[in-house]
Amino acid sequence: MKSRKGWTLTALLLMTVLVLSACGSKATDNGSSNGAQANNELEQIKSAGTMKVGMMGTYPPYNFLNDKKEMDGFDADIAREVAKRLGVKVEFVSQEFSGLTPSLQSKKLDAIVSQMTITDDRKKVLDFSDPYITNDVKIIVKKDNNDITKLEDFKGKTIGVGLGTNDETYLRNEVLPKVGDFTIKTYDDVITSLKDLDAGRIDATINNLYALKPIVDANGFNIKAVGEPIKSDQAGIAVRKDNPELVAALNEALKGMKDDGTYNTIFKKWFGEEPAQ
Amino acid sequence: MELVFENIPFFLKGAYYTLYVTVISMFFAFIIGVLVAIARLKGPMWLRMIARFYVSIMRGTPLLVQLFVIYYGLVDYGVTLGSLTAACLGLSLNAGAFLSETFRGAIQAVPKGQTEAAYATGMTPAQAMRRIIFPQAVRIAIPPMGNTFIGMLKETSLVAALGVTELLRSAQLLVAQYYVNMPFYLAIGVIYWIMSIGFSAILEQVERRLARAY
Repeated sequence: MKSRKGWTLTALLLMTVLVLSACGSKATDNGSSNGAQANNELEQIKSAGTMKVGMMGTYPPYNFLNDKKEMDGFDADIAREVAKRLGVKVEFVSQEFSGLTPSLQSKKLDAIVSQMTITDDRKKVLDFSDPYITNDVKIIVKKDNNDITKLEDFKGKTIGVGLGTNDETYLRNEVLPKVGDFTIKTYDDVITSLKDLDAGRIDATINNLYALKPIVDANGFNIKAVGEPIKSDQAGIAVRKDNPELVAALNEALKGMKDDGTYNTIFKKWFGEEPAQ
Repeated sequence: MELVFENIPFFLKGAYYTLYVTVISMFFAFIIGVLVAIARLKGPMWLRMIARFYVSIMRGTPLLVQLFVIYYGLVDYGVTLGSLTAACLGLSLNAGAFLSETFRGAIQAVPKGQTEAAYATGMTPAQAMRRIIFPQAVRIAIPPMGNTFIGMLKETSLVAALGVTELLRSAQLLVAQYYVNMPFYLAIGVIYWIMSIGFSAILEQVERRLARAY
């Protein structure tokens, strides 16, 4: 008990090191900005020279890793083209879908190009560009399943859907009250939900046909889409709220792409058909 | 299996981030662990309370929650950390709490007579700690410390949720590309295993070297 002073000193040292250790590891990452508050995020992106775009990376043919281990797909091409027209490079960050919105809001990303459907709920927390694709959503079941052809057949079944997706909200808030009780099982990406469907752990899922095509092409799964489209979704580029300059620039880029045919070329490249008018 | 071999470079990149996060976090966790252990044993009352509180929180909440608090939560207070920074910070703070318990136990395991003998030769408490107690305690602490470190190596897979493309995320991306599960998950399992064998080997060496004096 003699040298209490010595221990006070140690304590002080401890605090310093704790703080330093936090700073030390901070210095290892140059991707962090300390919340610099420039008003115009378009200017911020331009001066940084890169636009950080978030996507799942597990949703072919929209966004996935290609043979060269680069992000590829329809979303990736759209994002690249838009960035080119803004005069910046694009940096892709792959993350589970449910983590994308929090990452955007906490400024880890500048934009999300990952088949994010434009909905009123999302518009409360995000801003969207004009839609860049329209997807028909259908019910998907195993090939030998003839029990489910419409939403009403979901009653008592287990239905898989992506966590945090617009489809999940739709199932929970619209289909569930109307159809009656069924179990919703959530997934972090589309592939896992389709795999579970193929493995028989869920009875059905809902998704759009373009997403299904490469999987059927790869002969992986015995699954099929049934019935009429249950809804039609429009996806846009999501950005942080109150960002009119950026949204305007994105819209202008998208419009330019559609006008000069670049958009059609990208669409045909991934879906093998002309976009619906 | 061919797919796995084709994608080894990609896995190695994932493994690099896994190792990177692990090694940096180990370093800081070690420092935090030692300081917190000493603070809990020898510090003034208020410091002991703080240290206890810290250990209790870190041990009592899931690492994933801690990572989310650091990565997504702190932003609301103006602290925007990058994915890797947040990952390292979270893991360091978490493992530091566990290590502090290891060290505390190890320090207490050194017989009291050793301290008394050190004092009898005229050493100050700090000297006794540094020259007599600590070298002995470190030896006792190595096996449980190895547990914590290897546990940490595996827990880095949680970092995928913060957008770091480490091993687990690499496998997920490849699964989405090729539509096969088993080879990729097996492959990363093997890579994790190899890395943990590496860490165990290093710790064993350290243990042997520290034992040499005896």
